[in-house]
Amino acid sequence: MEPLFNPPLHRQRHQFVVDFVKRNKPPKVLDLGCSECSLMKRLKFHREVHLLVGLDIDGTKVKKKMRALAPVSTDYLQPSYDQLCVELYEGSVTERDARLRGFDLVTSIELIEHLTLADVERFSEVVFGYMTPAAVIVSTPNCEYNPLLPGLRGFRHSDHKFEWSRAEFKSWALKACSEFGYEVEFTGVGQPASGYQESVGFCSQIGVFRRLERGDDSNTLGGDDAEDVFSYKLLYSINYPSLCDNNILRRVLGSEVLYWAEKLKSRWMEKKSGEVNASCAPIETEEEGEEKHTVSQCESGASEDQEEEDEGVRWTRFQRRQDSCTSLRCVSVPLDVLWSCCPRVSTLSGSLGNLRRLLMDDPDVELSQDGDAVLVNCHEQDLEEEEAQDELEDSGYEPASRHHSAAAEQEEDWEASV
Amino acid sequence: MTGRARARSRGRARGQETAAPGASKAVEPAPAPAAAAAAAELVGRGRQKGAPGPFSAEAVLQISAGFQQVKLGERGGRRRDFQDGGINTRQAMEHVKDSKSGSSGHAIQLTANFFRIISRPQWVLYQYHVDFNPPMESRRLRSALLYHHEEMLGSARSFDGALLFLPNRLQNKETVLHSVTKNGENVQITVTLTNELPPTSPVCIQFYNILFRRILRILDMQQIGRNYYNPKDALNIPQHRLTIWPGYTTAILEYESSIMMCTDVSHKVLRSETVLDFMVNLRQKCGEHRFPEICTKELVGLIVLTKYNNKTYKIDDIAWDHTPNNTFTRGDKEITFRNYYKTQYNLEITDGNQVLLVSHVKRLGPAGAPPPGPAMLIPELCYLTGLTDKMMNDHIIMKDLSSQTRLEPEQRQGRLNRFVSNIQKNPDAQAELDKWGLSFDKELLRLTGRVLPGERIFQGSRSYDPPAADWSREMRGIPVITAPPLNNWLMFYTRRNGNEAQALLQTLNKVAGPLGIRMQRAVMIEYQDQQESLLRALQQNVGQHTQMVVVVLPSNRKDKYDSVKKFLCVDCPVPSQCVISRTISRPQTLMTVATKIALQIACKMGGELWSVEIPLKQLMIVGIDCYHDTTAGKRSIGALVASLNQSMSRWFSKCVLQNKGQEIMDGLKMALSAALKEYLKFNNCLPSRIIVYRDGVGDGQLQTVVNYEIAQIIDCIKSMGQDYSPKLSVVVVKKRISSRFFAHFNGKINNPPPGTVIDTEVTRPEWYDFFIVSQSVRSGSVSPTHYNVLYDTSGLKPDHMQRLTYKLCHMYYNWQGIVRVPAPCQYAHKLAFLVGENIHREHNMHLDNLLFYL
Repeated sequence: MEPLFNPPLHRQRHQFVVDFVKRNKPPKVLDLGCSECSLMKRLKFHREVHLLVGLDIDGTKVKKKMRALAPVSTDYLQPSYDQLCVELYEGSVTERDARLRGFDLVTSIELIEHLTLADVERFSEVVFGYMTPAAVIVSTPNCEYNPLLPGLRGFRHSDHKFEWSRAEFKSWALKACSEFGYEVEFTGVGQPASGYQESVGFCSQIGVFRRLERGDDSNTLGGDDAEDVFSYKLLYSINYPSLCDNNILRRVLGSEVLYWAEKLKSRWMEKKSGEVNASCAPIETEEEGEEKHTVSQCESGASEDQEEEDEGVRWTRFQRRQDSCTSLRCVSVPLDVLWSCCPRVSTLSGSLGNLRRLLMDDPDVELSQDGDAVLVNCHEQDLEEEEAQDELEDSGYEPASRHHSAAAEQEEDWEASV
Repeated sequence: MTGRARARSRGRARGQETAAPGASKAVEPAPAPAAAAAAAELVGRGRQKGAPGPFSAEAVLQISAGFQQVKLGERGGRRRDFQDGGINTRQAMEHVKDSKSGSSGHAIQLTANFFRIISRPQWVLYQYHVDFNPPMESRRLRSALLYHHEEMLGSARSFDGALLFLPNRLQNKETVLHSVTKNGENVQITVTLTNELPPTSPVCIQFYNILFRRILRILDMQQIGRNYYNPKDALNIPQHRLTIWPGYTTAILEYESSIMMCTDVSHKVLRSETVLDFMVNLRQKCGEHRFPEICTKELVGLIVLTKYNNKTYKIDDIAWDHTPNNTFTRGDKEITFRNYYKTQYNLEITDGNQVLLVSHVKRLGPAGAPPPGPAMLIPELCYLTGLTDKMMNDHIIMKDLSSQTRLEPEQRQGRLNRFVSNIQKNPDAQAELDKWGLSFDKELLRLTGRVLPGERIFQGSRSYDPPAADWSREMRGIPVITAPPLNNWLMFYTRRNGNEAQALLQTLNKVAGPLGIRMQRAVMIEYQDQQESLLRALQQNVGQHTQMVVVVLPSNRKDKYDSVKKFLCVDCPVPSQCVISRTISRPQTLMTVATKIALQIACKMGGELWSVEIPLKQLMIVGIDCYHDTTAGKRSIGALVASLNQSMSRWFSKCVLQNKGQEIMDGLKMALSAALKEYLKFNNCLPSRIIVYRDGVGDGQLQTVVNYEIAQIIDCIKSMGQDYSPKLSVVVVKKRISSRFFAHFNGKINNPPPGTVIDTEVTRPEWYDFFIVSQSVRSGSVSPTHYNVLYDTSGLKPDHMQRLTYKLCHMYYNWQGIVRVPAPCQYAHKLAFLVGENIHREHNMHLDNLLFYL
């Protein structure tokens, strides 16, 4: 059988919501009757959404696929600035729960037809009257379309309690609007073949509700309940890693700083060793503990070539510490050099002061005493060590306590064991 | 000392956790350009890719034919049997039917990284067959219809579309249920009990593994490839832009006496940059001109993660002519990659000129359709995992990595205990286990191993008992068994390294005497620091009577090393020794280095350094290993090394280059014949015993060895003569295993000492197998080697088999100590690596009797 709709109707309904989200960028979205979370799985990619919540009466069904809403591995590798928290609840849309109030968008895709008419009334009260979201998208089958569906007798699904015509849907929607202060716009997905458009309408009819701004609204509604009710059961909740989390920001920034510090250090060391080879100029060294600054500020407005030179001058600010065996121990990379060299460091930290503050709390980053520079250890190319590792990876020696009691082992005839 | 060559020969994927090529998991039937439907790779690199394990597709239908045939898929689809289950080789070997344990040595108390699985008494898994009338095509629909009857079935159930598993018995043998589809169609579901599976049945074992994966997901761990990792405990190595995720490998199997979970700490190396970042950096570094070649070499074979799903893909190729603006067919419309990712995942592709990555999808399409063709991936949306070859060879990176990942025995055991206690503490995980009536032991398995007596080393007329797994100190100043006099040899050097070369020559002379190596002065030849002039110098100076060529290389550039080895291994067969000038530039270490070089030179020319007592006569030991070339042509190299004398000090070596789709043993058959003929020449008789140590058998490839290779070996032996029938043993050697053992001394947790043998509890009942810890490590946890005797007509007692194996671990001449595997395996590894990495051709047969590749 040829599919009636391409793409399939359920996907078109989801696309409708996705398009709405793209246009309106609601930060908090709630999906009623989320079932196996398929709509949420698409919405999680729209990072303008900060809070994505699903509610379904059937917890088992939700649990089946809910882990697909978890961050993927790469979300941890490069956390973004956007925040996202995903929560899933088990509960009924006819009951109130304070945690689901104040959303920017509530979607109810192919849900209400599974409720009895009495429950639809309660649904209106809970969604429009109690949750009071800024926008609501409700989709439901349009029974006028049913004659066009081949082989269909009765309702589209055995669990449907009703299927409304366009007029029935409209009257329910308008009633809810007047009662709770919303305006509604009708549309749908699943266009019939040309010519039928006027007579039957969309296969799935959709109402997009928007709350009318009324000054006193929030106050009066908030006062309705003396106490917050929590009737839903939280099944799942996960926070996506985000740079807004200070710990994560510090970690990412710390990694970035160390990477660049290491890079700048090796560039500088190459340069230094080149100079030594060329001119045998004595390198300024200091005894450990003593502080000696050889700061020479560079003049600005230099030509391209001099810019190179400037960098060189700046490098002289690196302090070098000498230990007893005259090999370098650590190099200090000034924060302002880092700040100006690597754009990602500056974007992440925002300001130099902020950078210093964040790094001070990072146990992995070692700062100089005045907090103006990052200290990086020098890797002396240790030949000895290299040689030791040269052979078989795991071989090495360790005075293993070998019991040699059986040293004088008697001659055994292995051949005889046949 | 050829530091470079040796460093490289450590090879890939030891130490660090890089996803093995075979481990790349299912791949989404993602955008596949219809045009590029290249022939699906059926057999890659001679490996048995889709190993025809014990479970065949049609077996799923024969439900009551016996549960051993049933395959239970996690989510349907094809699964490879990585555990080599269902291969029963022990039953054919009379002498180990009752016991496969040895007896030598003294007992040692150990713990192992195994946890017993405990089930309720009389625990049984009930297997039901589910029939739908009218038949339902969609598996999803079938599950949905069946799960309507939760009150009947209970919440603990596992259904793969045809088979239903329940922990409890339904009231009747046959239950008829009724459901209604969305379309109002009435469906009759018949659930019939077909089997009661005891806890040890293979289906149950598979089931435990699936259940356990569920638990790891409950613990919020991320699956990458086959293992699960914890991104929340990530370790960063910022200077190399690496991130390490700690995780665990787990496998539940039936071991000797019970069902256990073997779990080990595993680390996943990830990179915090996208493939595009990597490409841009690389292009900057190596220039436009060489970029495509270098980029292909670096990237192909690596595993990537994507930004939009949790799947891993292996990069098989780079589509240089594709960009995100190319289109593919989706449904019946053409859509550009750029638009696809925008609409589907809201992902913006910023660089429209990037080339695309190609990954061959091996998984079958929906409903058994052929694979949907290669997936095209966008570099900007992919993150690299694992290390490139270049990083593996960078000892600074490797040092930083191992400092983060190397775990002392105490730490490792601590982590494993914490893992199991985390499961015990998590209420959801416990609920899932309780539902099925299962639980885990809270502590690591305790068992007793044995430490084999130490081996006496014989060196010429002297002998000594090394106090540790190393006798570099003991052998100083004692002449080696034999060393051919070095009368006619050359040393090549560049002008810049003239002093180093002279110093090396002098020191070599100094150290050679006490070692019993007679050495004339070498002819010194200077060459220009260019590949061509080095080659010319070799061509002009190496003659018929040259015994040895030493080349001092100014840097560890691969091309010069390659051309030296190519010329001297293939065109003009002379043993050669390359030394990097830096290695000999420090006077303090020159003596040590020169000693090693002198020994190496001696054995490359056929010298014998030391031996251990081998109590079997007329014995030939054979070692086999292979090398898989991941880039150039995907060829594999098989190497065979066979002993020629009683003291295991002379070896015959052959290698074969084998093309895609060919079994490695086809070529090695010829090599084995040649080895037997050479043995005959050496000893005037053929060996009466042959023991083959086969290394390089991957997970899931055991069946091929059993079914095919053993028969080939027997064939080959038969072809030597009608009445020639030596005793034969075939042993599979495995280094990369997740079993670990910890020894307890005075309340401290240590590595087991060298010579520790484990042949109970954690071995498999259907195999004749054992573990030996032969080497000693300075830091970190030692990893044991697993030996699986697949075929054995020798009648050798298990104890003797174990001790012989341990003795052979003492015989690798490039290391004055005990190694991880029997020497012939290590030799074969070295040879295969040299051929695969440097010379790319079979070596000249005049070198067959020499360890020229050390």
